[in-house]
Amino acid sequence: MAGAALFLITTQHLEAQPDADALRLQKLEEELKAMRQQIIQLQEQHAREIVELKALIRPSGAAAADDAQPMSSPVDRLPLYESLKRSVIPTGSAAAGNTGIDLDLAVVLDGALYHTSGEGAPHLRGKTAGFGHGHNDEDGHHHDHGPHNGFNLRHVELGFSAEVDPYFRAWTTVAVDEDGAELEEAVIQTTSLPYGLTLSGGKLKSGIGRINRQHSHNWDFWDQPLVYELLFGAHGLAEQGAQLTWLAPTSFYLLFGAEAFNGANENLFNVIGEDPLPQHDAPRLWTGFVKYGPDLGDRNALQFGLSALSGRHQVWHEDEDEGADGRTFVYGCDFVYKYDAKRTHGAGDFTVQGEYFFRNQDLTGVDSIAGEPWTHEQDGYYLQTLYGFRPRWRAGLRWDQVGLTNTSTTPEHGRERFDDSRRLAAMLVWKLSEFSLLRLQGGHGWYALEEGRERAWEIALQWQVTFGKHAAHDF
Amino acid sequence: MNTLCLTLFAALGALGAQAAEIRIVATTTDLADIARAVAGTLAEVSCITTGREDPHTLTARPSFIVRARDADVWIRVGMELEIGWEPVILRDARNPRIAEGAPGHIDAAAHVIRLEVPTTRVTRDMGDVHPSGNPHYWLDPLNGRLVAATIAERLSTLYPAHQTAFAKNLKTFSDALDTRMFGAAWVGEIGGEALWKAVAENRLEPLLAARGLEAQAGGWYAALRPHRGKTVVTYHRSWPYLAARFGLLSDLQLEPKPGIPPTAKHLATVVEAARARQARVILQEPFFTRKAAEFVAARTEAVVVSLPMMTGGSPEASTYLDMLDTVITNLSRSL
Repeated sequence: MAGAALFLITTQHLEAQPDADALRLQKLEEELKAMRQQIIQLQEQHAREIVELKALIRPSGAAAADDAQPMSSPVDRLPLYESLKRSVIPTGSAAAGNTGIDLDLAVVLDGALYHTSGEGAPHLRGKTAGFGHGHNDEDGHHHDHGPHNGFNLRHVELGFSAEVDPYFRAWTTVAVDEDGAELEEAVIQTTSLPYGLTLSGGKLKSGIGRINRQHSHNWDFWDQPLVYELLFGAHGLAEQGAQLTWLAPTSFYLLFGAEAFNGANENLFNVIGEDPLPQHDAPRLWTGFVKYGPDLGDRNALQFGLSALSGRHQVWHEDEDEGADGRTFVYGCDFVYKYDAKRTHGAGDFTVQGEYFFRNQDLTGVDSIAGEPWTHEQDGYYLQTLYGFRPRWRAGLRWDQVGLTNTSTTPEHGRERFDDSRRLAAMLVWKLSEFSLLRLQGGHGWYALEEGRERAWEIALQWQVTFGKHAAHDF
Repeated sequence: MNTLCLTLFAALGALGAQAAEIRIVATTTDLADIARAVAGTLAEVSCITTGREDPHTLTARPSFIVRARDADVWIRVGMELEIGWEPVILRDARNPRIAEGAPGHIDAAAHVIRLEVPTTRVTRDMGDVHPSGNPHYWLDPLNGRLVAATIAERLSTLYPAHQTAFAKNLKTFSDALDTRMFGAAWVGEIGGEALWKAVAENRLEPLLAARGLEAQAGGWYAALRPHRGKTVVTYHRSWPYLAARFGLLSDLQLEPKPGIPPTAKHLATVVEAARARQARVILQEPFFTRKAAEFVAARTEAVVVSLPMMTGGSPEASTYLDMLDTVITNLSRSL
């Protein structure tokens, strides 16, 4: 329009000058005529398009556009929802900051300042009668995973997870410490099997019990319960194998799981397979578990679990040149109750949780002690409670007891009964945000060694930060 | 074992036949109420939250997994509001119908008007800033209307046989919302659709002046019209959508950064600003502690007003429209 006006002014200016070139004027008039025609054509085209668009809109628009309002453009003619839909950027678009790479990376830094009395609680736990690496266990060597007095960088955990394709998701977790890296998990899991089935494979944390599946940074306390540490070891039961779970179509939560693992847990399922011990092909460890959770309304949640494990186990004592072969059975039950106070950041929330495990190692001597019984029967439980006494703060108390049943039979020592070991821990945690926490935990343990009961206390100030993607919490 | 399973399946099949045709699970009560309005008797709608808790932090309970397992349609607020628990529920429910990206998974934020979308790189130093914008969008009635349209549109695609029923229900819901917003007189004269369009384009007052209808204001709009430009101090940034829609200022928060608890130093600056602006109201979600709000109230002219920000957050706020009604009526009384 502005161009046309300028053009008109220029022409008028030209007319005002009598000596203007008549030919040039005529040419300009022709150009103007052509431009006018073009504008008319454009207007007609525009009008046709509006009619066409209206025809497109009318049948679908349930709410007819308000005729009382004069509208000028086709977008104005659209119903409110349709017109706003076009002007609003959809979430998850590139404009919303999505990089388009579906890989979640999470890094957890977990450290603590730790102190223990005397010989040290970790050392005593390593010698706990019936559980430890004492005279009646296979391998004199010590796997010291325990903390030391002073600063402890427990580990740096690197977690990668992604949806692989429409059929699988996968994640892997690597724990790195000063001595090297350890593969905690590397799992491929199906996402689209029918009938509520999910198949997982790789190296995975077994679904038995309640906290076995949790990574250490998700534990409610700084350390794991005695029964886990002494039965399954520092890393719990994490093995190469496969897991099939089925979410039953019931009105309450009911999950069944079965697993087949190689069986390479040092404490429970360890096959040496060298002469004179017999060879056993993997998979040598089979597990099954059930989890049941009734619906108790908006504030209360409850879940029960049962687990059973059965696998090959062997021991070998180099010095005495004797060993045994057989099976280990483990049976467990667990429960958790959570109260949701519906306040912010866990204030008023309350949790009670407990687990019990019983193991029965039923081995028979080989070679020089062929046929002689070599058995271990031990059990243990823990009971813990947590309370959010103000937003972001939780206090917790945990009672551990192992060896209520504590009997071992070896050819060398015959049948022996040992005492039980106990520990009480109190904990205070401050979650500054979803990504960082500070925790203070003190514990006192009474450990039954073969030479009698010994006591030790320990205290830890733990700090933990998460950066990268923060995974949503499981129940 | 086989016979047991068969009996179990048969019993469940019989149960399923009696229930409504569409099973909808919504993450929040607001979405559930809107979905109920749109789907009417065709759907059985259940909800994960109760409206009384902080929707950011929730534990993914086993009973949620069971509900998600049976759902045909899942509706979420989106914009990462449910990021702490939705992924676990969807993963453990093993229901491909409602997996993210599936037709049965409705992101209610898809076509809403969004505020506070970060324009710079988001770091966690900023606190709990959502990269796709402030997710409390349901507190703008216009967004409630858009969410209803989004749900109706998707349900019509999923269940084309009921398209007309959804359209009819959507119209009923939108009409009710429009009347509550603008009052019967304006809606009768101008029409809800045209009124909202004028609101969205920021030309409502001129339109009404031109039609000589200014004096017949009704509904929520009339309730808050006299208070335009006033400051409302809030605890969390839950209320910008409501404030922006009704011309209130809500830039003063008790939290120094989103999701970071109030500090004494920050509260001192809030007190100063609230005094200078003569703020009369400290608006707070029921689930946050009132200490900080009371600290500021004691030092200014403001009073603490605890109001539900979700349907079900208080006994009066039993539906989405009643929730907005409670919030707006109480706010206009205190301002």
